[in-house]
Amino acid sequence: MMREERIQRLPVVVSALVALALAVIPLPALLDALRPDFLVLVVFYWSIESPRAGGLALAFFSGLALDVINGVVLGQHALALTLITAWAIHLRLRLRVFSILSQSLTIFMLLTLYQFILFWVDGATGNPVVNFGRWLAPVVGGAIWPLVSGILSRFRER
Amino acid sequence: MPAGSIGNSPPMVAFRSTDSSGRTSGLLLRCVLYSLLALGLIIVDKRYDHLGKIRRWLSFVAYPVQVAVASPFEGWHWFRESVTTRDTLRADNERLEAQLRVAQFRLQRYEALEAESQRLRALRDATVGVTDRFIIGDIMDVDLDAFRERVLVDKGASQGVFVGQAVLDAGGVFGQVARVEQYTSEVILLSDPAHAIPVQINRTGLRTVAVGTGDTGRLKLPYLPTSADVVVGDLLVTSGLGGGFPPGYPVGTVSSVKRDPAQSLADVDVRPAAALDRSRELMFVWLKPSATLTASAAASPAAPPNPAPAPARPPAATARSAPSSAKAPAKAEARASGPSASALHARAPGAAPPAHKASGP
Repeated sequence: MMREERIQRLPVVVSALVALALAVIPLPALLDALRPDFLVLVVFYWSIESPRAGGLALAFFSGLALDVINGVVLGQHALALTLITAWAIHLRLRLRVFSILSQSLTIFMLLTLYQFILFWVDGATGNPVVNFGRWLAPVVGGAIWPLVSGILSRFRER
Repeated sequence: MPAGSIGNSPPMVAFRSTDSSGRTSGLLLRCVLYSLLALGLIIVDKRYDHLGKIRRWLSFVAYPVQVAVASPFEGWHWFRESVTTRDTLRADNERLEAQLRVAQFRLQRYEALEAESQRLRALRDATVGVTDRFIIGDIMDVDLDAFRERVLVDKGASQGVFVGQAVLDAGGVFGQVARVEQYTSEVILLSDPAHAIPVQINRTGLRTVAVGTGDTGRLKLPYLPTSADVVVGDLLVTSGLGGGFPPGYPVGTVSSVKRDPAQSLADVDVRPAAALDRSRELMFVWLKPSATLTASAAASPAAPPNPAPAPARPPAATARSAPSSAKAPAKAEARASGPSASALHARAPGAAPPAHKASGP
């Protein structure tokens, strides 16, 4: 058990850093609005596969990193990511036996909730972003979930 | 794993049995703990200013990621610049020299005009801050929040950049510094929906506030009455009210004016003068505050000295006798009584700005 955990730290950290970089990599304006929350998908993957490697600590600190790198109020992404990751961990055994389509739909639902929490914190802290574009990210995130989980499982087996 | 092979209940049973050692409640407990921690962070960050140090410390972690993301793009720019042909360089050189000639020609007149303006202002005892010095910063190729108009620039606290500092580009006012880290700073663009800048119509001297729309190519003037003297093509310059921006820099030109008789306010759109979506180099400006500005700002922060470029009243008016100065406050009261009179007060900028103009950023 200990050995397995030690082996699994590195891929988690590396994939989280890559996802963090993908979150701020410059894209054309059209694609920028469609940019999925890569880091959220990565945190989901590790939390569903092995909550010991992922889990709430990973979610909290990934959220904090997103707050810092996006320059928004500290704790916003941390709160949203913690709450939905807790739900994902709660659902994880069911998620694993879902077909890939049902998995995508569930991820889409969780991502929508994530955007909603961000939206709510934006409004509560006094700088609301009233742009319909932000609700597109969960759709794209749900759509690329099979791809992300495929790549990460390949990455984990190596 | 086929989807239909397991029904609804076995996963639940499995879930309970594997986590029977208190992990379900542990999950809930930790979720609540982390959420409270995050909520606390949000409240402390929003309400108080104690998190600056933590944020700066955390930004040391974020900085390598930002640099790593930006460097391939920087490298590509560098590569493209280094492989430009001789012909392109010569064409560029000729174009730039022509531009420089025009600019220098204008500058000759400008310096004489500035000296004259300073003399006249000194007579009126209302010298405003002028640009003291500036540094150039490069926009880093890092996308911040897609739905806010902000950019990351490679100059920070170590270069002396401060929050609220005015940022210009070659065309005009670009925005202001919203947040400062050690080596980077975040600039909020004029077009951010949360940004407002005190401006003045160059032709008439009418003062108002330009607010961002979230659309990079458009600002709006939401506080102009339908009777205001504004036409398409009017140049807007910074008024310098509030002291954040240096006065007299171009902000944009009026691109459309819609007057609905049923509304009391006109619907005015402005095209920004700065290339908000194309600039790569920005200027951070330090203002040299004059003695009168700081003194009157300390006395009443809501009423900074009036920076109207074309004084309607001749400088000799200050030397006039008591009756005319007693008339001025009465006029000011008459102006404050009705909103439709705001076209008037632009022409007679002797008194403090009316209260609704001071509701800027």
